[in-house]
Amino acid sequence: MKINVNTEIAITYLSSRKKQTLIAAMGVMFGVSMFIFMQSLMKGTNDYFEKMSFNTTPHIRLYSENKVADTHLMTNYLKDSSVKILDNPKQLVQRQGIINPYGVINEIKKNPKVADITPQVTADVIYTSGSVQLNGTVAGVNITEENKMFDIQSNMLSGNLEDLNRVNQSILIGKGIADKLSLHTGDNITVTSGTGSPLVMRIIGVYASGVKQVDETKSYVNIPQAQNLLGKDRSYVTDIKINLKDYNDAPEVAQDMATITGYKAEDWVQANSQLKTAFKIRAMILNSVVGVILLVAGFGIYNILNMTIYEKIKEIAILKAEGFSGKAVTSIFLQQAIYIGLMGGIIGIFFGYLISYGFSRVYIGGSSPMGGALNYIPMSFYLPHYIEAIVFGILTTIAAGYFPARKASRVDPVTIIRG
Amino acid sequence: MMETALKATDINKYFHDPVTMPVLKNISFEVKKGEFISIVGKSGCGKSTLLYVLSTMDRDYEGLLEINGVQTTGRSLNDLARLRNESIGFVFQFHYLLPDFTCLKNVMIPALRLGKLTYKEVQEKAYEKLKMFGVEDQALKRADKLSGGQQQRVAIARALINDPTIIMGDEPTGNLDSKNTGIVFDLFQKLSKEFGQTIITVTHDEDFAHRSDRIIEMADGVITSHGN
Repeated sequence: MKINVNTEIAITYLSSRKKQTLIAAMGVMFGVSMFIFMQSLMKGTNDYFEKMSFNTTPHIRLYSENKVADTHLMTNYLKDSSVKILDNPKQLVQRQGIINPYGVINEIKKNPKVADITPQVTADVIYTSGSVQLNGTVAGVNITEENKMFDIQSNMLSGNLEDLNRVNQSILIGKGIADKLSLHTGDNITVTSGTGSPLVMRIIGVYASGVKQVDETKSYVNIPQAQNLLGKDRSYVTDIKINLKDYNDAPEVAQDMATITGYKAEDWVQANSQLKTAFKIRAMILNSVVGVILLVAGFGIYNILNMTIYEKIKEIAILKAEGFSGKAVTSIFLQQAIYIGLMGGIIGIFFGYLISYGFSRVYIGGSSPMGGALNYIPMSFYLPHYIEAIVFGILTTIAAGYFPARKASRVDPVTIIRG
Repeated sequence: MMETALKATDINKYFHDPVTMPVLKNISFEVKKGEFISIVGKSGCGKSTLLYVLSTMDRDYEGLLEINGVQTTGRSLNDLARLRNESIGFVFQFHYLLPDFTCLKNVMIPALRLGKLTYKEVQEKAYEKLKMFGVEDQALKRADKLSGGQQQRVAIARALINDPTIIMGDEPTGNLDSKNTGIVFDLFQKLSKEFGQTIITVTHDEDFAHRSDRIIEMADGVITSHGN
């Protein structure tokens, strides 16, 4: 058995004061398990909201944006030699929608990062049923492609998605619309857009995405019908929605697409900037809570080691007299801190996993008014969190143990032994 | 002519608190290998201070100190720690055993620190040393469960574990009754006669001092007699 004598002394000191060691380790354990729990909860929720946002937003949305008149043309023509005054600039009247949408789609499909792509015709409409009216938007989509990208099937409350392709004048409405207008699958609804004539449509299904705002306004029709609704021709497309293989590439790819096509390409990060801000704030709150817990645990270890050193100052002196160098003494006390950290860290990992698992089994879906899209507290079980947690735990104990250990190494044996 | 174990040349030391005053004045002497020396003197004459200078633990002095022909003055803390570990054994007035460890472990620790023998060899050697002092049956007891005399014997066994060339004692029998004092004295004598180990002790015990090979007498920070 080849065990370092410093290690042996450190372990003996720890095991001869089991209670204190245990309490110190428990401090670390709480820190580590809370770290894991909070990180898991945060990542779980963030992932959930990200997924939720991808239920309604594509990774990239390409659309034509109205532009306000500017002075570029005049600058080109007149150069800098003149003073340009453009009084009261107005939005230009331009053709809405994307020119040659299917050409653009074919071009975009060449990008290897693109996974799915689908055109959409968006129309602002008024839903009418009887005498009740409701504002909303109609999305003219290829429902098969749309389903592939946004998994609408999982949100269906009643009816059949594919009927949108089969039934003439059909529409799929949100649960909010159905509730407000008191409509069911099989009923008729009148839809009016700003530019076309009113159309009576057959409701072939009701969906609930879980996002109230969407469910109260948005409904799906097929593309030709949306074009009819707006009184536009068959090449009229307002948006191109793109999903990538890795959504983290979105900001970069969006910029390329904007440059290539000349249209506005909005990535999901921009579209959900409020979500990202919320993530950041949540991360800050949770991390500071965990930081405080670890800090408190660190002070606990600092205290206990300091007390040990006061108590054992004669023993430290005698060890030094026997030929233990300052380094060896530092090692003895730093090792104690590290073992406390390791012990607390390992128990903390198990405990953190248990808490996370327990919470992931807590049912919260039942009372959700929009139908249970979120049934259980979202928890992620992500290995790097566990590694980070134990690394942070041990770093804290090393930092907390360093100062007492250094103090021990500086004990002057002569003063202590002579008294 | 015997080899020199320890040589001090013009050692001066001052205490600075509350005012600077000399405690050791131009101390020079030599100790041969295998000698058993007692340093005696009144309280406050500087004999303990001298011993801690000789022990290399106190580095705050002027002059030169040589141990086993090697100059120790001016060497680093780590070097000195190593030197103490290997060549000097200490016995103090109080035993200073580590109470959390067994007696055997207490004796083993300096040897484990030295790291020249395997764990098993150290264990055997430590047991032998305990046997030498008649406390082998206490080997597996915690150090704080022993009587004062037994503890001091374990402490001496610990001082001997690395076969040091010099053994230093600061009133090693100060806390012992006459019976235990006798045991310790006999052991010291045996060590110097049979194993050629050098022994330097500071003592108040006249009887103990007179039975040693040589008495160095001190008064007011100077050596008044080197013995013969």
